[in-house]
Amino acid sequence: MDRLRTRWIIFSGLAIVVIVSYLITIKFKTAPSPATLKAYKYLDTLPEKSVVIFSFDHEASSLPEIQPIALAMLRHAFKNDLKIVGLSLFAEGTAIGYDLLSKTAREYDRQYGSDYIFLGFKPQYISAILGMGESIKRVFPEDYLGNMTDTMPIMLGIDSYDNIEMVVSIADGDRTVQWVEYAGARYNQKVMAGLTAAMITSYDPYLSSEQLYAVVGGLRGAAEYENLLDKRGGGSRGMLAQSAAHLYILALVIVGNIIYFRNRRRGGGG
Amino acid sequence: MAVSAAASDGNVETGSWLNIDTLPTLIFSLISLLIVLYAIWSVKSGRKFTIREIPGLKAVDEAVGRATEMGSSILYTPGWGGDIQRPTTIASMNILSSVATRTAEYDCRLIYPTHDPVIMAVAQEVVKESSIKAGHPERYRADDIFYISSSQFGYAAAVDGIISREKPASIFLLGTFEAESLILAETGNSIGSIQIAGTDSTIQLAFFIVACDYTLIGEELFAASGYLSGNESILSSVKAQDIIKILISLFIIVAMIWATIDPSSTWWVF
Amino acid sequence: MRTKIPLVVCLAFGVIMFAQYFSNHTIARAVYNNILEWWQIIFAFTLFVGVAAFIKNNLKSISRGKKDTPYKIVSLIGLALMPLLAIIGGTRIGSPFLWSFENMLAPMQATVFSLLAFFVASASFRGFRARTVSATILLLTALIVLIGRIPLAEMISESLPKTTFWIQSYPSMAARRAILIGIGLGSMTTALRVILGIERTYLRGE
Repeated sequence: MDRLRTRWIIFSGLAIVVIVSYLITIKFKTAPSPATLKAYKYLDTLPEKSVVIFSFDHEASSLPEIQPIALAMLRHAFKNDLKIVGLSLFAEGTAIGYDLLSKTAREYDRQYGSDYIFLGFKPQYISAILGMGESIKRVFPEDYLGNMTDTMPIMLGIDSYDNIEMVVSIADGDRTVQWVEYAGARYNQKVMAGLTAAMITSYDPYLSSEQLYAVVGGLRGAAEYENLLDKRGGGSRGMLAQSAAHLYILALVIVGNIIYFRNRRRGGGG
Repeated sequence: MAVSAAASDGNVETGSWLNIDTLPTLIFSLISLLIVLYAIWSVKSGRKFTIREIPGLKAVDEAVGRATEMGSSILYTPGWGGDIQRPTTIASMNILSSVATRTAEYDCRLIYPTHDPVIMAVAQEVVKESSIKAGHPERYRADDIFYISSSQFGYAAAVDGIISREKPASIFLLGTFEAESLILAETGNSIGSIQIAGTDSTIQLAFFIVACDYTLIGEELFAASGYLSGNESILSSVKAQDIIKILISLFIIVAMIWATIDPSSTWWVF
Repeated sequence: MRTKIPLVVCLAFGVIMFAQYFSNHTIARAVYNNILEWWQIIFAFTLFVGVAAFIKNNLKSISRGKKDTPYKIVSLIGLALMPLLAIIGGTRIGSPFLWSFENMLAPMQATVFSLLAFFVASASFRGFRARTVSATILLLTALIVLIGRIPLAEMISESLPKTTFWIQSYPSMAARRAILIGIGLGSMTTALRVILGIERTYLRGE
C-alpha cells in the first residue's frame, strides 16, 4: 500500500509539473549540439534539386516527440528546393509520413510527383533497404497513391542509392541501425537520423565512427533545429516542460537519497 | 555503389566474383568461422569447456519454483523489437525451452504473449516439445501462447494488462525490447514479481538493471542455451566468442598505440 | 526427415547469403535480388497467420466467458473496423480511416508511451541510491547529465553541457561499445550455430 501511495505521489507530481509548464510560455534559446548542427549544415549546403529520402520509421506513439523533428527537417529540405522521396518501413509510419510530407509541401507550394513523392510502406524492412540498393523502382513499382513510379517526373534518373544524396531516417527504434548496417555498410549510402531522446545514446557509437552522419535527437534536437531555421515549433514549445520534468526527477532522486540515509541512520532499510 | 555499369561500348559489365572492398570483412569472417570450428573440433576431441556462473540463468530455477509455491503463473515475453530471424530471439527461445521444461515438470502455468505470429508458432512448438520432454504432454496449453498485436504499445498495453490481472509470480523479459521495456518491467516490479531480463539493446539494458532482479548483460543472453543445456557444441561456440573477443581487444590495443605514434596511419580503418 | 530438410535448407541459404555479400557478379546479384523478393512474399503471408491466430484465440476466450471477455470483444471490433473503414472510405487525407488513426489510435499509443515518463520517474526514485561508492558515482553522473541536457544548463554554467557531452561521448560510449561488441559476437555465433545446424531450438524445441 505504501509502495502504491509513493507511486501515486510521484506520478501526480510529474503530471502537475508538466501540465503547468505547458500553460506557461517561456522562450529558450537552445544552442545547437554538434550533431544537430552537422545535420542542418548538410541539408543547407546540398545543391538545389538534390534527392533526399525521408524514411518515416516510427509509430504513432512517438508522434509528439518525432513530429517536430520531422517537420523541421522537411521544412528545411523544401525551403532549399530539395527533391524528397518519402517512404516508410513501419506500417503506422505510412499514413503519418504521407500526412506530414503533404502538409509541409503545401506550405512551400511543392508539387506531388515532381518535387516530392511518397512511395508508401514496404514490409520486411531489411529486404526493402537492401533491394533499394539495386533498384528503388523494383522495390516500389507503385507509389502510395497507386501511380507507377517510373512514370513520375521526380523518379526519372533515380535508380538506386547512387542517385540519393542522403537517407534521413525519422525513427523511434532501431530501424536507423538497419539503414546504417545495410544501406550504409553495403552501399556506402550516407544516413542521418531524427530520433527520440531515448534512442540517442544507443546511436552514439555509430555517430562517433561516422557510420551515421548526424543525429537530430528528441525534443531538444527539434528545438535546436527550429532555432537554426528560425521557425518556432513543437520542439521549442516543449523545452520548458522537458526542463521542468528533468528538474522534478532530479528533486525526486535527492529526496529518495535523503529518505534512504535517514532510514539507514535509524537502522532500517533503504 | 553501382553493381554493374554500362561500359563505354554499351556492354553491361558482369562484375567480379570477389568484391575487393569487402575483403577485410571476408578475412575477419573466415577467421571467426575457423575459430568456431576449431572450438567445436576441440570439444569433439574430448576437451571440456565450462563457462562462469551467470546469476540471471542460475535464478531460472528459483523463479519457476517461486511461481509453483505461490500457485501463480509465469509470464515470458520476447519483447516487441525482434522477429524470429534475429539471433536474440533464437537465444530467447533456447531459454524458453528450459523454462517450459521446468514449468511442465512442476505443472506451473506459462503465459507467453508475443507481437509476431511466426514467433508465436515457433514458441508453441518449443513449449509443446518441452512438455513432451518433461514427460507431461498433457500440461501443454496452446491457448497460453498467443499473438497480441504487431503495434508496439498495443503489445505493451496488453502485456501490462495481463501482468496486472494475472499477477504472475515470475516474469521473464528476454529478447529484443525497445521503449516498452521499462513499462513492462515497472509494472512487474509494482506487483512484486521476480523478474529476469535480458536484451541486446544497451539502452533498454539500463532500464532492466534498475527495474529487474536479474539482468543478462551483453552476450550472457547468447550463452544461455549452452549454460542451461550443457550442450558441449554450444559451449564451445561460446568459448570461441571469448577467443574472438581477445583478438579484437589485441587489435584495438595495437591500433590505438599505432594511431598514437602515427596519427596519419589508416591501415586499421575498414 | 522432418528436421533434416529444414536444416539442409537453412545451411544452403545461409551459405548463399553469406557468399553473395562478397561478390558483385551479376549472377550473385540476381540470386540475391530473387531471395529478397521471396523474403517479402513469405513475410506477407505471416501477417495472415497473425490475424487468423488473433481471431481464433479471441473467439475461443469469448466463447469460454473468461473474465477479460469485454477486452476481447473490443479487440475484435477494432480489428474489423479499421480495414472496413479503409475499404469503404479509402486512406487519403480526410478519410474516416485516417481520422480514426489520427484521433483514436495515435492518441492511445502516445498515451501508453507517455507512461514511460512516469515509470522513469518512479524507477529513478527507487534506483538512484548512494548505497556504495560505485552507486554514488553513478548517481552524481546521472545528476550532471540530467541537468546538462536542459537549456537551463547553459544558464547555470557553460561547462555543464560540455561535461554532459564528455560523459556521453567517452565513458558511456566506451561501456556501450564493449557491450555492443559482445552482443555482435553473440549474434554472430548464434547465427553460425543456426546455419551449421548446431542450434535447433527453432525446430520443435530440440
